[in-house]
Amino acid sequence: MALKKPLWKFCEPNRSYDAVVIGGGLHGMAAAYYLARDFGMTNVAVLDRRRMGYGGSSRNTEVIRANQRAPEILPLYVQSIRLWNELSAEVEWNFMVWMKGLIGLAHNAAGVNSMRMRHATQTNLGIENHILSPEELKKLIPALDTSRSAAIPIAGGYYHPPGGTVHHDAAVWGLMKGLHRHGVHLCPGVDVRSISIKNGRVNGVEAKVGGNKITISAPLIHMALGGWSSEVAAMAGITLPVVTLPLQAMVTECVKPFLNHVVVSELYFCYCQQSIKGDLIMGAHLDPWQSYRSYNTYEFAAEQAYFMLQLFPDLAHLKLMRSWSGLCDMTVDGAPIMGALPIEGLFIDAGWGYFGFKASPACGKNMAELIATGRTPEKITFLGMERFYEGRMVPEVYIARS
Amino acid sequence: MGFQINCPNCGLRDVYEFKFGGEAKERPGPDADIRRWRHYIYFNKNANGLHEEWWYHTAGCQSWIKITRDTATNRVSEGENI
Repeated sequence: MALKKPLWKFCEPNRSYDAVVIGGGLHGMAAAYYLARDFGMTNVAVLDRRRMGYGGSSRNTEVIRANQRAPEILPLYVQSIRLWNELSAEVEWNFMVWMKGLIGLAHNAAGVNSMRMRHATQTNLGIENHILSPEELKKLIPALDTSRSAAIPIAGGYYHPPGGTVHHDAAVWGLMKGLHRHGVHLCPGVDVRSISIKNGRVNGVEAKVGGNKITISAPLIHMALGGWSSEVAAMAGITLPVVTLPLQAMVTECVKPFLNHVVVSELYFCYCQQSIKGDLIMGAHLDPWQSYRSYNTYEFAAEQAYFMLQLFPDLAHLKLMRSWSGLCDMTVDGAPIMGALPIEGLFIDAGWGYFGFKASPACGKNMAELIATGRTPEKITFLGMERFYEGRMVPEVYIARS
Repeated sequence: MGFQINCPNCGLRDVYEFKFGGEAKERPGPDADIRRWRHYIYFNKNANGLHEEWWYHTAGCQSWIKITRDTATNRVSEGENI
């Protein structure tokens, strides 16, 4: 039966708002959602040059977890997992949150040490995590090659129960539904060309819609642009400590369910999970050079397939169905940039690299609080851009590195 | 597909033969303060379009080259040997 009312609608932007979010990805939409939900700010528009969820929001591999290294950010991920679990009921839309658990593999002494260090940090913060021997790993994942005869045998691993997956398209649609319900304007096809600043504070944006130039005035502007952050920040005269690198991922044909967890190999820098449909989603390869062009290379597919066969020899002859790539805005310390900028009324949520998906609801919630109240929430105090000038890096660990 | 880089010593070669050395930036003077140095080290123009950058030809002549590349298309103009 067809729905009588649409779940969301798109519109052309008005000429004035209380706040404008540039970037219609998960981070931007989550910020607008919590602005409306927690602070009653509904005279808000989310602008996107292309369509909602065009960038990293629909190009990630859907993994959520709370096990990165830096204790400064871990509470943000814990909050995020809680919010992912709340959103389905709140928006009355299935986000397909699947808390299947995440298993990490270490292949040498250095890997095991790094794993133990992160285990200690997580335990301190009350995040559940278990260190496993190769035998215990074999029990959890029978298809895993834990033999001593492997090219680089598995030395140990961890089981991180708060890890899992969220369907990324469902997340985009769910937030669109939530925003529409609160009366927030969703405006795709709005290409912001300049940010106007008067006496040290923002007062709006100029944008192109179709062939027309329009001016939208707003005292608060939030930039959540993922890989395109530098381009828009430059409109406000701000240089960011990020580079945009391309990340590749791929998916195989569907097979019978055999993999119940997300599996990450920290030596091979690859991870794999089986979707409900049965296909294996695997990634990721970060090409270490700047590029705004999305492309896929044979090198990536060959390397990824080789790594997968080291872990799961039974996957030989499985066909690759698709591969894709997205843009990652990488900072030098591997941690994001979140907070207010030196121009009054201008906010940024960027530098999330290849791991922004899992954090999106918590980023939205904290940024919304900052935008609405002007006070920086505790969870993002360490993430301001000023840290790069002050030499206060947040030591985050890289998983995907080529 | 990836792209190729025109090395002045070795000719057109696959990008995976090279190591990326980052944007070519203007180095601050020796008397510059720490803030300027940190800006130089950590901050990037990160242009979506033409920019100048460094590459090291690891699997070839093992020398540093400076090239101009369009990051939107990955088209590379002539390389310059340094």
